[in-house]
Amino acid sequence: MLECSELYFNVDHGFLEGLVRGCKASLLTQQDYINLAQCETLEDLKIHLQTTDYGNFLANQTNPLTVSKIDTEMRKRLCREFYYFRNNSLEPLSTFFTYMTCSYMIDNVILLMNGALQKKSVKEILVKCHPLGRFTEMEAVNIAETPSDLFNAVLVETPLAPFFQDCMSENTLDELNIELLRNKLYKSYLEAFYKFCKNHGDVTAEVMCPILEFEADRRAFIITLNSFGTELSKEDRETLYPTIGKLCPEGLRLLAQAEDFDQMKRVADHYGVYKPLFEAVGGNGGKTLEDVFYEHEVQINVLAFNRQFHYGVFYAYVKLKEQEMRNIVWIAECISQRHRTKINSYIPIL
Amino acid sequence: MSGKDRIEIFPSRMAQTIMKARLKGAQTGRNLLKKKSDALTLRFRQILKKIIETKMLMGEVMREAAFSLAEAKFTAGDFSTTVIQNVNRAQVKIRAKKDNVAGVTLPIFEHYHEGTDSYELTGLARGGEQLAKLKRNYAKAVELLVELASLQSSFPGLNVPLLISSQSWMRESEKSSIG
Repeated sequence: MLECSELYFNVDHGFLEGLVRGCKASLLTQQDYINLAQCETLEDLKIHLQTTDYGNFLANQTNPLTVSKIDTEMRKRLCREFYYFRNNSLEPLSTFFTYMTCSYMIDNVILLMNGALQKKSVKEILVKCHPLGRFTEMEAVNIAETPSDLFNAVLVETPLAPFFQDCMSENTLDELNIELLRNKLYKSYLEAFYKFCKNHGDVTAEVMCPILEFEADRRAFIITLNSFGTELSKEDRETLYPTIGKLCPEGLRLLAQAEDFDQMKRVADHYGVYKPLFEAVGGNGGKTLEDVFYEHEVQINVLAFNRQFHYGVFYAYVKLKEQEMRNIVWIAECISQRHRTKINSYIPIL
Repeated sequence: MSGKDRIEIFPSRMAQTIMKARLKGAQTGRNLLKKKSDALTLRFRQILKKIIETKMLMGEVMREAAFSLAEAKFTAGDFSTTVIQNVNRAQVKIRAKKDNVAGVTLPIFEHYHEGTDSYELTGLARGGEQLAKLKRNYAKAVELLVELASLQSSFPGLNVPLLISSQSWMRESEKSSIG
């Protein structure tokens, strides 16, 4: 018999799903964004944010208010919410949360590796790490001399260990370029996450798998676009593409051969989902491919809330909250730099 | 006729020839001094004009560059730590050359590129386009800064000789108008 999530979900996860839906209802609306865009100074922005669910989160900040302070405080707030969810979760939701933090962990690990190898002080780098990607072995990285040592001593205990397997050539990490390493790790991470969701089955698989497929294809397109004119070879480029999306295998093979934007567009035209996205690039308003992808991501994340009894709501909420933070930081930067022409290029969510 | 500027001379034809030669020499010297002062003034004015233009342009370019940084952060997230950590060799370097204006040497700075971009693959998965635009904008800002530095360092180098030569020329004209 098929597992009926409606019957058993609420026993373990009902409280958290209710909580996350409440949090989602407090995301900023279009009207809020219009009000924020009309502010003249950052102080006005702070006053407007007080009327939303953010409340007095900037109350303890000393003058002058800067954009980076706003960003840090918003991030702290998101972390508090996330840790609350995570601490109150049961299996398999807690594994799901661990998978969600892996992407931030990858960024932190790359940062730490880089810093440790250049003998920078660990404390400085720890401050710069993303709080959602914190893991217990972080402080121990300064004992390693080379990347391989770092892996064998420290990283093998973290959830990231299996992702390093695909990047190791002859059990050593030394010769990899740091950006290639980051992208390879992310590819393994996406594939593992996808497998987890698919094995879980049920509504979670139905909701999360399309989201992850889109993420994989989006990465493939963006990596291709950004590698035109660099020294990244086509074979190397192909090893960075995640294989879980709609583009695998024919699309990825065609993308690896592409040499400019038009060839890429022709590959996308074979797929019904991506054709209208590519057509929206350029136009009036000068949208880039990345903007179009961000908008599509926001749309499918909002759609995740239409179904109940699945874990996708947590993933979608964190992604939407991050987009909201980016929007607020964008509006704040436009205000503080007095460069208001593009202030409306944020991506509205609700 | 001031007493102390008088030259004691024995009236003879040779003394007159010598005195004429001396007068001619003094007049040539005075003209050359005027030419030097004029050349310096011309160069000075040109530099001032260029400084004002460059400063105005600088304001615009820096604003544009700071805004493209905000745009890049919007798409690519926070890449500042990665960039700061991977600094090794400078890509844009400066050569100092000397320029000669009416006998005054002025330093000129010229920038040149060396080596490849070590941040080529940053933003490979997110924000590469915005990062490329950011790099271009800041490169323009750096070139403009080098030009401004060059102009501003030649400014005092010109100022002093200009003042000296114009003062000497004024003293000479005073003397000749009196004598």
